[in-house]
Amino acid sequence: MPVVQAIDVERTYEMQGVPIHALRGVSLDVGEGEFVALVGPSGSGKSTLLHVLGGVDVPDAGTVVADGTDLSTLGDRELTRHRLEHVGLVFQRFHLLPMLTATENVEIPLAEIGLSRADRRQRARDLLDRVGLGDRLKHRPGELSGGQRQRVAIARALANRPSLLLADEPTGELDGETSRGILELFESLAGSGTAIVVATHDLKLAAAAGRQMKMVDGRFNGVELQ
Amino acid sequence: MILRTAVRELRAHPGRTAFAVAGVAVASAMLLDMLMLAGGLQASFRGLLSGAGFELRVSPAGTLPLDTDATLQNAVVLADAIRAEPGVAAVSPVLALNIRMEQPSAAAADSGDAIVFALGVDPAAQGLYRIADGRDLEAPSEILVDVRSPAGVGDTIRLSGVRSFGSAASASSELIVVGTAEFIYSSASEVPVALDIGALRQLASRPAEASFFMLDAAPEADPDELAQRLGVAFPSVEIVSIREIVRRAEERLSYFQQLAFILGSVSLVVTALLVGTIMAVSINDRYGIIAALRAIGVSRRSIIVTLLVETFVLVILAGSIGLALGSLTARYLEGILSDFPGLPAAIRFFVLEPRQLWLAISALATVGIAAALIPAYRASTLPIATTLHREEP
Repeated sequence: MPVVQAIDVERTYEMQGVPIHALRGVSLDVGEGEFVALVGPSGSGKSTLLHVLGGVDVPDAGTVVADGTDLSTLGDRELTRHRLEHVGLVFQRFHLLPMLTATENVEIPLAEIGLSRADRRQRARDLLDRVGLGDRLKHRPGELSGGQRQRVAIARALANRPSLLLADEPTGELDGETSRGILELFESLAGSGTAIVVATHDLKLAAAAGRQMKMVDGRFNGVELQ
Repeated sequence: MILRTAVRELRAHPGRTAFAVAGVAVASAMLLDMLMLAGGLQASFRGLLSGAGFELRVSPAGTLPLDTDATLQNAVVLADAIRAEPGVAAVSPVLALNIRMEQPSAAAADSGDAIVFALGVDPAAQGLYRIADGRDLEAPSEILVDVRSPAGVGDTIRLSGVRSFGSAASASSELIVVGTAEFIYSSASEVPVALDIGALRQLASRPAEASFFMLDAAPEADPDELAQRLGVAFPSVEIVSIREIVRRAEERLSYFQQLAFILGSVSLVVTALLVGTIMAVSINDRYGIIAALRAIGVSRRSIIVTLLVETFVLVILAGSIGLALGSLTARYLEGILSDFPGLPAAIRFFVLEPRQLWLAISALATVGIAAALIPAYRASTLPIATTLHREEP
């Protein structure tokens, strides 16, 4: 069973009164441990597809099934819970709380799920250790480099052990060396069974994925197998 | 975690937080002052009247004690008649009038002739002063002076009645100061004296008059019922309980409460507008991070609770500063108002009671949180994907 499956998904936005067809009948299956890269020009629908796959956005037509559940059947509360328990999201701009330490940022989803303080602290430390930030536990985002911040964001995304990790331009604001570190981390995660979908312009990152899906104007424009 | 996040968020924007704290603190100070003013005068008045220990007053018909210059005629007979009624434990007649006081024998040279407010009392049962130095009156030739008077124990004072237009020359008498006293009802500008009521009557040529009586009810008697019963038995005079006097005074002072209510409400509206605006601006700045938190699975409830806790911390911090500021302001205003002519110096306009403090804190917290509810709710229901699209490059 795929971790997430999109079937004929359509999504149209309105921007300043003009309809934007972000997704036009997109279908995609992502299985356990798969690393998929969505590539294509800006505005081709990559971010929208990530949001739809993660239950952040709701398609106008089509179906998204995650872990056997049709997401359109879930209300806001259940959908929020689904994202919390099954999906990890990484943003290009990290979106860390600037006043909290790295550990506390990673603790946010753990607190939301109701883990005790001691347990969530331990798990946050383990995760930060895993992404190579064991010596930056008490640093705030402002005291970390871009790559370190992105690794904190990835640790936060992995906090509740999601089956699906979605990353939108995770290396977009990082230098080459830091990008390589993030790539290695994704490969390692995929190797341990996490399904990963990345929207990226970074050709090196895309090349490392098991599948590259090129998007143009809200549709897939062929599949490139690695 | 929520509280820590709230506190750190406020600390992360010192300028904005300081502005909000200052604004809410000023509004809180005004609210506290208005709450103190709303009940302070009445509470102080009630305390002043109740503290003397006499639960009823008898005054000329249609007046309250010292409301006018009218006096009770045949006061000696009337006092005896009331004293004989069941439920009356004691009757203390008081004659209050202005009288001329000549320079004390041993006092300072600048204390020449003066018109003073004299209280003629029955020393055995009075509730108008407390002895500060020396002893109470024991004979008609003795006098008590106010603690602020230049005269002291052992001095001799000559009193003479004030002649009104067309009246004959009045009597005069030399009296020995046997004590100094704090006069409960005297105003800041008054320096009263007290002497035996018989002596004052003689000096003023008013042999059977009294300005009012103070009545002590027997322990088993209800003062209000006693006042009602005595009122029927003695229809030519006004007999009221302290409770009733306080009620009437509260009616007269109700405009203070109205003023306090209006200004207190204004301060709460200012608090609401300030908190609402600050929180709306602060939340608006954080739409991106809030959308990201919602995207990673943080519930609407958690978002709302976090923002409301932030508001609560802000309001409580600002409110605490404001309450301290309000106490200082009240003290300053009290200093100005206590010089109000004719008002007993013991009267307080601003009285701080724990109930008012709690009321102010509760009102501020409730209004602040209510004002932050709309921006917090809007933040929790913002379209996640659209907001993230806008925030991400």
